[in-house]
Amino acid sequence: MRYHRHERLPEDAVYNAPIHRMTDSSPRFLVWGTVLIVSLFFRGLAFSAINPWTATEQEFAQKIAAALGPGPVAVEFVNRSSLTAKDADDVRSGVLSQLARLGVQAGRSDPAGAQVRVSISENVRSYVLVAEIRRAAAPAAFIIVSCPREEASGLSKVDPPLVLRRTPLWTQAQPILDAALFEDNSGGSHLLVLGPEAVSVYRFEGGQWRAAQSLAIKHDAPWPRDLRGRLILHVDQRLNVFLPGVLCAGTHGVVWTLECASSDDPWPLSPEAAPRAFFAPTRDFFTGVLSPGIGKISSTAKFYSAASIPRLNAALWLFSATDGRMHLVDGTTDQTAFWKWGSDLASLRSSCGGGTQVLATQAEDDGVDSVRAYEFPDRDPVPVSAPLEFTGSITALWTESNGNAGLAVTRNWKTGNYEAFRLTVSCGQ
Amino acid sequence: MKHSGLLLVAASSACLLASAAAATRPQYGGTLRCAMQSAVMSLDPATDAGAGDADRANLAALLYDTLVREDEQGRIQPGLAASWQSEPGNQRWQFRLRPGVKFHDGSVVTADAVAASLRVADPGWKVIAASDSVIIELRSPDPELAAELAESRNAITKRGGGGDAIGTGPFKVGAWEPGKRLTVNANDVYWNGRPFLDSIQIELGVSSRDQLVALELGRTDVVELLPDQARRAALEGYPIVSSSPVELVGLRFGREAQSASEGALREGLSLSIDRGTMRDVLLQGFGEPAGSLLPNWLTGYGFVFDPKFDLAAAREKRAESLAPARWTVSYDGTDPTARILAERVALNAQDAGILLHASTAPSADLRMVRVSISSEDPQVAAQKLSQSLGLGNADAIHSEEDCFRFEAEILGSHRVIPLLFLPRVYGLSSAVRGWSQDRLGTWRPASVWLARKGG
Repeated sequence: MRYHRHERLPEDAVYNAPIHRMTDSSPRFLVWGTVLIVSLFFRGLAFSAINPWTATEQEFAQKIAAALGPGPVAVEFVNRSSLTAKDADDVRSGVLSQLARLGVQAGRSDPAGAQVRVSISENVRSYVLVAEIRRAAAPAAFIIVSCPREEASGLSKVDPPLVLRRTPLWTQAQPILDAALFEDNSGGSHLLVLGPEAVSVYRFEGGQWRAAQSLAIKHDAPWPRDLRGRLILHVDQRLNVFLPGVLCAGTHGVVWTLECASSDDPWPLSPEAAPRAFFAPTRDFFTGVLSPGIGKISSTAKFYSAASIPRLNAALWLFSATDGRMHLVDGTTDQTAFWKWGSDLASLRSSCGGGTQVLATQAEDDGVDSVRAYEFPDRDPVPVSAPLEFTGSITALWTESNGNAGLAVTRNWKTGNYEAFRLTVSCGQ
Repeated sequence: MKHSGLLLVAASSACLLASAAAATRPQYGGTLRCAMQSAVMSLDPATDAGAGDADRANLAALLYDTLVREDEQGRIQPGLAASWQSEPGNQRWQFRLRPGVKFHDGSVVTADAVAASLRVADPGWKVIAASDSVIIELRSPDPELAAELAESRNAITKRGGGGDAIGTGPFKVGAWEPGKRLTVNANDVYWNGRPFLDSIQIELGVSSRDQLVALELGRTDVVELLPDQARRAALEGYPIVSSSPVELVGLRFGREAQSASEGALREGLSLSIDRGTMRDVLLQGFGEPAGSLLPNWLTGYGFVFDPKFDLAAAREKRAESLAPARWTVSYDGTDPTARILAERVALNAQDAGILLHASTAPSADLRMVRVSISSEDPQVAAQKLSQSLGLGNADAIHSEEDCFRFEAEILGSHRVIPLLFLPRVYGLSSAVRGWSQDRLGTWRPASVWLARKGG
């Protein structure tokens, strides 16, 4: 069993605040390729998953068969659980099928024969199958087998329509705040990795990324805890880096430059120009003040991240507020909702589904951090992908500069390394 | 919010109340005033001071953290341990500690400190401090170790100069008069977020009657309620919160049945008890008739032990028994619920021809016991229940079937006759917001806040 949970914690003590992000500055080797192995490992796990009820029904039937031996038996089922009638009937069919396979013929038995009363029950953690076996003069015997709720919850599950995919980009021991891929005019591929002290530029040569340049980030004040930053590549070869209280501007492509200065300029929230939002210079969240506003709304609650969903008239904006709630801003209203999402959001365009998906972090039942894609037919989120799980806490989730992909950074709890992934949505399974 | 009847009371679970409170933005500050009947004498989670386990767990929740905790679904969640893993066989567990957590005295929670604390909590564990982790090696496999570590008795503490237990919890001890009152102040650097409240004052050893009076006079914010008080408080408009049925009320015989005849007589006593009427009339609808030692919501098999009320069968058992049908049952004289239940048991027994005298004298043939369920894990709960009732070694309980066999054996021997499962019920003042407690009724104080006047 492994558990790990992460959500972003503001420095000024927020109620019910979740767990601090762990920091580790110890030098480590670059471990390129680990993430790919991890990714394949999890895919393998997903493909090998089986219906947990099958194993439960098998074990239950085997125990009953061992107690009774082959032959006819009267079997009665009672559903004492919260399972729907259909799901309970599926369990009933499964048990009867397994009994038949073992030579126990459910049906009528003679009056002196065995009678089995199966109760589908539940406790706080599991569904519980209880068999009460009665034979003429013998005292009743009981058989109990349980099926954990988390594993059984997929009984009536319908597979989500879209697939969220990750492509590992980079791994390093030092924090990664953001990363970006781009191709120059000559077709050369570059990877930019934003860290607390520099933008590292890598060029793809001979089948691997080779360090090409390091653009230092100058800053006077110490960084706040839970440092966040954005890397914006413009089509006209301008480069911007946004950090708390600092704005860097430069060029990319043929000539690489970067100049940083203290600044409280608002950060971009999406590939589109507007709106932008002011970031608290000594904290890890946006102040809530928008520039320009969204319609009539010029400010919302303090928030960690935002995502936009195009609408016919005006975009619907989602803000992940520092109090755990979600703010839905449509230009005239600012409504709140509570969806138990994590702190980070991003939106991306795709050719699937409604064309725009919102990526949201969340902690799975087993404590693993994940990202899941949602669509918004109206104002409530509809999951359109399965959760994409990571072997570490998610420390950043941004939209790529072109709006076609997401960028996730995790800190691997096994290695302590930061890992950057490009996230895309593909249609169908 | 005014409740108009007991049905609404029953519905006002902790979760519902918490979610309702979440509609308003929480406010920092203020002092929450609580009252408790138990005269708790020690705040040290590792010592057994004799007071109610559930009350001590509530105080421990203020001051201490455990490595892991159980959520509303009984799932294990991170606490002071950010992650953990067990090696195949569940005999060796490694818990990776959350970095940067400090004890209330300002010292950092280290692996050495955690290991020392766990060694005190259970000397049977071999605990090794390793960098940012602690490793627990067990004599035998224990798949339920994480659930066990979530119990308050395994809270992580550091020993101060006077031997006092220093914790890492959301509140720090401000003033402490054993058995009388406790004041705790907010831990400003609590790793899971500073509590909203500035402080909590808890008066200990306050009778249930005085608690309700204090609530009505506006002198306290949180009180424990007896069933009849809960109805009254609800009718007066106080918010009521209730846990799942988490306390077993039963009859514990002082010795084993000496013969089959005595066993039959004990069975007759059990058959004579009208648990449904006890619940409906005496407890005004609170609780559940109990035929098992652990409630069905915890095990899923409790329905098998259906508590039968069959006076004719009870009389038959009485008639066929040669043992003397004369017993004394003792109860805690300071516990009004125990008194009315003991007297009703005596009355029911009389109907079956069994003479049962209810008394507060300590020496008796059987005694009325109240035992709180200590874990949402059935196996851990069964082990603890076995210890509390002195039923012998229950270390072999590692599965639902083990639990079932344990219960079947105890109930079959008639050493314990279950009567009822009772919830823990609290009345709140109208200023209390965000009240939260787990399924076992243990407080989650960090999320509580007080609405200011007009708020």
